[in-house]
Amino acid sequence: MLQRLIRFLRREEPSSKIASNRLKLILVQDRLGVNEEVMKDLQQEITQVLSRYFTLDKNQVEIDLQREDQAMALVANIPIRGMKGRD
Amino acid sequence: MGKVIVITSGKGGVGKSTSVANIGTALAMLGKSVVVVDADIGLRNLDIIMGLESRVVYNSMDVIDGSCELEKALVTDRRVENLKLLAASQRNNKTDVQPEQMKDVCLKLRETHDYVLIDSPAGIEQGFENASSAAEAALIVTTPDVSAVRDADRIIGLLQAKEVSDLQLIINRFAPNMVKKGDMLNQYDVLDVLSIKLIGIVPEDPSIVGSSNRGLPLIYDATSEAAAAYKRIARRLDGQDVPVPEFKATGWFSNMFGKLFGLD
Repeated sequence: MLQRLIRFLRREEPSSKIASNRLKLILVQDRLGVNEEVMKDLQQEITQVLSRYFTLDKNQVEIDLQREDQAMALVANIPIRGMKGRD
Repeated sequence: MGKVIVITSGKGGVGKSTSVANIGTALAMLGKSVVVVDADIGLRNLDIIMGLESRVVYNSMDVIDGSCELEKALVTDRRVENLKLLAASQRNNKTDVQPEQMKDVCLKLRETHDYVLIDSPAGIEQGFENASSAAEAALIVTTPDVSAVRDADRIIGLLQAKEVSDLQLIINRFAPNMVKKGDMLNQYDVLDVLSIKLIGIVPEDPSIVGSSNRGLPLIYDATSEAAAAYKRIARRLDGQDVPVPEFKATGWFSNMFGKLFGLD
């Protein structure tokens, strides 16, 4: 009771909720056979391709696998500074 | 003709051997003829959990290398006579047995018994390969924590690749009070990610320690909730329609009452 009250007051997430979310993400990566290295390579190559068209802030690019209901999604957050002038 | 079922988990220490001993005993108490096979070669312990260690003379290795007849290697349980154990060799390695040899032994046992339950070692290496070689069904044991569920998922994938399609899940060491507090994954979280059928939830029960100290499977403890859960699992496995009860957290009142009167 008290624990839950403290948690509520601190706005802390219960650890079971954190476990559930971690588990979902871990299994998605396991099943796809994707590891961090693959994700890094993917991010680099996507950034490379996009840089041909846009000016990007390369440090702000975020690419992640996420689970949405029953399907997996590759979610990318790529801030664009502007278009590149093409010849 | 009986059925060969492997009990496996990937991760160690989640209750595979305990589940085999209890489900095996429960099935035998339902009148079925049952053999439990310890497939953990080199690290045998199913005999200890069942209190049969002093009766073991031969093991599966002796059967495989032809130095003992299969029937002669089976140890009869002390309480239920239609329950037998085929022990694992303590002196050999998992790599001393080939999956095909293990499969032959299990298929022979299937001819004369209703259920052949195989206690798989932890891991995904040869020990698991041997244990699952003859299995037509599998019970996957997990506890409600991230690492056990992850390993269960891996094992499910491996079994599906071997075309073992009859897969059912046991959630062991479930603690309703912790779930209520938000400190433990609940059954829906686990089932949601593993997407196989649930055959039962076994609540956490401290009397399991005393039970393996004595070498007397928990199933004989009439007051144990975990024992009741294993009995229900055995009946479901045997095709009976037994609903899975909701495990409720005990409230502060019954907690206090329990503590005051030593009932807890």
